Amino acid sequence: MQKMSYTFSFPEEVLEHVFSFIEGERDRNAISLVCKSWYEIERWCRRKVFVGNCYAVSPVMVIKRFPEVRSIALKGKPHFADFNLVPEGWGGYVCPWIAAMACAFPWLEEIRLKRMVITDDSLELIAKSFKNFKVLVLTSCEGFTTDGLAAIAANCRNLKELDLQESEVDDLSSGHWLSHFPDSYTSLVSLNISCLGNEVSLSALERLLGRCPNLQTLRLNRAVPLDRLPNLLSRCPQLVELGTGVYSTEMRPEVFSNLEAAFSGCKQLKSLSGFWDVLPSYLPAVYPICSRLTSLNLSYAIIQSSDLIKLISQCPNLLRLWVLDYIEDAGLYTLAASCKDLRELRVFPSDPFGLEPNVALTEKGLVSVSEGCPKLQSVLYFCRQMSNAALHTIARNRPNLTRFRLCIIEPRTPDYLTLDPLDSGFGAIVEHCKDLQRLSLSGLLTDRVFEYIGTYGKKLEMLSVAFAGDSDLGLHHVLSGCDNLRKLEIRDCPFGDKPLLANAAKLETMRSLWMSTCSVSYGACKRLGQKMPRLNVEVIDERGPPDSRPDNCPVEKLYIYRTIAGPRLDMPGFVWTMEDDSSLRIE
Amino acid sequence: MAEIDMAVIKPEMMKPYIWLETSDGSIQQVEQEIAMYCPLICQEIIQKGMGSSKNCAICLPQRVSPSTLSLILDYCRFHQVPGRSNKERKSYDERFIRMDTKRLCELTSAADSLQLKPLVDLTSRALARIIEGKSPEEIREIFHLPDDLTEEEKLEPLKNTTDDPRIRLLNRLYAKKRKELKERERLKNVEVEEEHVDKRSVDDLLSFINGNDEDPKGIKTSKNKKKNRRKKEQQQKNSSLKETSEVNKEVNGQNIRHPNSEADRIAETSISNTEDVFAHKEFDDGDIDDGIDPALKEKIDREVEDFARRLNSDWPERMQELLSTGQERKTMLFTPNGNSFIRFDLKAPLPDNGLERRQRIVSLDYEADPDTYITFPFPVIPLA
Repeated sequence: MQKMSYTFSFPEEVLEHVFSFIEGERDRNAISLVCKSWYEIERWCRRKVFVGNCYAVSPVMVIKRFPEVRSIALKGKPHFADFNLVPEGWGGYVCPWIAAMACAFPWLEEIRLKRMVITDDSLELIAKSFKNFKVLVLTSCEGFTTDGLAAIAANCRNLKELDLQESEVDDLSSGHWLSHFPDSYTSLVSLNISCLGNEVSLSALERLLGRCPNLQTLRLNRAVPLDRLPNLLSRCPQLVELGTGVYSTEMRPEVFSNLEAAFSGCKQLKSLSGFWDVLPSYLPAVYPICSRLTSLNLSYAIIQSSDLIKLISQCPNLLRLWVLDYIEDAGLYTLAASCKDLRELRVFPSDPFGLEPNVALTEKGLVSVSEGCPKLQSVLYFCRQMSNAALHTIARNRPNLTRFRLCIIEPRTPDYLTLDPLDSGFGAIVEHCKDLQRLSLSGLLTDRVFEYIGTYGKKLEMLSVAFAGDSDLGLHHVLSGCDNLRKLEIRDCPFGDKPLLANAAKLETMRSLWMSTCSVSYGACKRLGQKMPRLNVEVIDERGPPDSRPDNCPVEKLYIYRTIAGPRLDMPGFVWTMEDDSSLRIE
Repeated sequence: MAEIDMAVIKPEMMKPYIWLETSDGSIQQVEQEIAMYCPLICQEIIQKGMGSSKNCAICLPQRVSPSTLSLILDYCRFHQVPGRSNKERKSYDERFIRMDTKRLCELTSAADSLQLKPLVDLTSRALARIIEGKSPEEIREIFHLPDDLTEEEKLEPLKNTTDDPRIRLLNRLYAKKRKELKERERLKNVEVEEEHVDKRSVDDLLSFINGNDEDPKGIKTSKNKKKNRRKKEQQQKNSSLKETSEVNKEVNGQNIRHPNSEADRIAETSISNTEDVFAHKEFDDGDIDDGIDPALKEKIDREVEDFARRLNSDWPERMQELLSTGQERKTMLFTPNGNSFIRFDLKAPLPDNGLERRQRIVSLDYEADPDTYITFPFPVIPLA
C-alpha cells in the first residue's frame, strides 16, 4: 500500500505558508498537479496569474479557479501585430475581463496588459472597482485616451505604478490629466509616459514628483524640454531609472551645468533612456554618472559613432544596451572592449527602407561583441550583410545565448562571402547554444536550416521565420522536432497544408501559430478546425469570405491557438473561426 | 484545589526545569527558559500552571515526537541567547535546516503545533526550495503523495458553464468524437481479445459509425454484448494500469519534461463503460450534458483527448484502412485526393501480442503551461 505522505499531518495553513514562498508560474503549476489536496490549496492561494493569450481561457474560468487573485497579466494580439500584419480591429479586447474581475476580485492590485485594446470605460471601471489598485502596465496597448488616465489618477489612492510603454494614447487633455492626482497622493513609484504625444503640465508634474518620495522610475515623453529637466530631477534625486524628453535645446552654458549637476545629484541613477533629437554637445552632461549605468536605451537617439564611443567607453557596468546602427562596427568594438558584463544588445536600423547601407555596420561588430562580452545572452541585430563564418564564430564564442534575433534587412540575402544560404550559420547557432529560447531567422535559407532547428533546438520556445524555406518539409522539421516550441510565427514562406495536418496534435501544445502569405489552403484550415476542438483556427482574410473561393485557395493569414474557451465571439468581419457547426456562430 | 496548587507552584516556578510529555508518552525534563521560547509551552506554564512536576507535565501536541522535540529544543537553546548577531543566527539556521525531507516535514509540523513562528518560517522556506524547479511527479515522489487527480481534473474542467453556447458546441464535438473513438476501440478490441467476438459485419459497423438511424436493432444487440464485457475489461484495465505505472516510472525517470519519442508509444487504452451511455444518446445531438454520469464523462473526455492527440490523419481514410488491412499497424497520411505523400511512422510497429499491448497503455504526462496554467497532456510527436 502507499506510504503515508510526509505532509499528511500538515494543516492547510502550513502548506499554504510553504506555497507562499513559491511564486514562479511554472512552480505554481507544478504544485497544482501534484495531488488533489495540493491542487485545492494552491488554487486558493494563487495570487498571480499570467494568461499568455487572452483567448485561451475565459475570464469566468480564471475567476472560478483562482478566487483570490491579486495580480493578472494578459496578452492579446499576436507578436506580428508589431509589424502591422494584424489588421485593425482584430481583437484583444480587455473589456470583458475587466468587467468580470470588477465583480470577482475586489482586492485586485495589479493589471498588466500587452497588445490589448482597452477603453476609457474600462479604465474608469478599474479606477472605481479596485480599492487597493497599485499597478497598471499597458505595453503596446491602444483604444484609450488621457481621460481614462485622469480617472485612474483621480481614484487610485494607492497607485504605485503607471506604465504606458509604447501604447497609443489619444491625447485629449493637453497634459491636464496629471493634475487629477490629488494633493494627498504620494505613493507613486514608477511613471512611464514616454509614448504620449502632447505636453504634460510641467507644473503638475513637478508637484507630483515633489510629493512622492518613493519614486524610482520616471520616463518622460518627448515634449518635455531639456531645460526643465534639472528642475524635475531636483525634486526626485532618489531616481533609479530616468527617461529624458527631447535632448536638445539652445546651447547655453548654464543649461549644461544645471543638467550636469542634476544628473550628478541622482546618486542611484542606473538606467537612462529617451534622448530624442540629441544635441551631441549635451551628451557629456551624463558622463559623471556613466560608471553607475547598467542600462542604456538610445534607440531613439541619433548619435554618431564617435560620440557613442566616448559615452560607452565610460560605462564599464553596462548590462543592457539598445542603440541605433549609428554605433557602427567601430562603436561595437569599443563596447566589446569596455563592457565586459553586457547581457543584452539590441541594434536597430536607422534607415530600414533605404536601398544602400547608410552606416558602416556589418557582421563584424556583432562578432566582436560576441568575443568580448562573455555574459552576452540576448541579441537583436539589424544589419545588411552576414556570413556563415561569422555565425559559426558567434555560436562558438557564445554558447550561453538564450535569445538570438538576426534581421538581415533585405529578404533572402545570401552569405555575402560565398553566396551560399545561411543554413549552416544558423545551424551552428542552434547546435552550440543549447539553452536558446528565442530565435529569429533571416537571409537566404532553405529547408536545411529547419532540419537543424528541429534537431538541435530542443529548448526553443519562440521562432520567427520570414521568406525562408523551400517546401513543407521545413515546417514539418520544426513542428516535429522542437519539443518546447510555444510560439511560431511565419510569414512569406512556401509552407502548406501537409505539415500542419500531420502535426495537428503538436499545435495543442503550443500557445499559438501565425502564418501569413504562406500556402495553407482554406480546406485544410477547415479540417483542422473540425478535428481539433481545443484549437481555434482563425482565418484572417480581407479579400472577403473564404467560402467564396475554392477550398484549395490559400488563405491570407492564419492564426491558430489553443484554447479551452471555445471559439471567440468578438471577431471582426475579416476573421473566420473554423469550427464544426458554423450555424452556431453569433454574428 | 487551585489555591493549594498556586502556593506550591509559586516557589516551583523559580526552578529552572519543566516537564514535557511527548506524543509517545515519555516524559522529560527541560530547562525552562529554553522551553519557554515556544509560545505554546509558554502559555501552558503561565496561563495554566502546568509543567512544574512530572505529574503535571505539559502534554505536547501529537505532532511533536521525541526526536523532533530534541531538534526544536536545540533550535530554542541557540536562539534564546540574546547576545547573538543576526549573522550568527542566520548561519546557524542554514546549518540547522540541513536534514532529509521527512524530518524537515515533521519539524515543520511540530513547530507549527508549538506556534514557534520563526522555525515555521525557516522550515517552510526550506520546503519551498525543495519544491521549486521540480515536476509534479518528482514532488510526489519526494513527499510520498498520491497521484489522485483524475485525468479530467488535471485538464481544465469544461463543465459548469454549460449554458455558454461555446461550451455546448464543444460538447457536441466531444460527443461526436466519443462516438468515433469508441467505435475504433471496439474494432481494435475485436482483433485483440479473441474471447469477445463481434459478430456483426463490416457493413453493420460502418453504418453504426455513420449513425444510421435505420438499424436500432443492431445497436441494441451490441449494447447487451458490451454489458457483459464491461466487467472483464474493467479488471483487465486495473491490472494493466498497475503495469503502466512501472513503465511510467522508467519513462519518467529518463526525461520527465520532454516527451521521449522512443518511450511514448501510443498503445490502446482499454476503454470500457462508454457504450451504455451512447446507447441512449446516439441520435440526440442536443444538450449532451443531461444524464451522463460524471465518472463516465471523465473517461469519455480522456478518450477524446487521446483521440485529438493521436489525430494525424483524416478519419474516413483511416477507418477504411483499418478495416481493410487488419494487421497493419503503420498508418499513412493521405492528402484529400488520395495520394500518399510522406510516410510518417506514427507508431512503431506493435507486436501482435495481446499481453504486450495491454502493458503499453498511454502514459499521460501532464504539464501545466506557464503561459496560462492550462494543462494539456504531452503530445505524442510523430517520429521524424
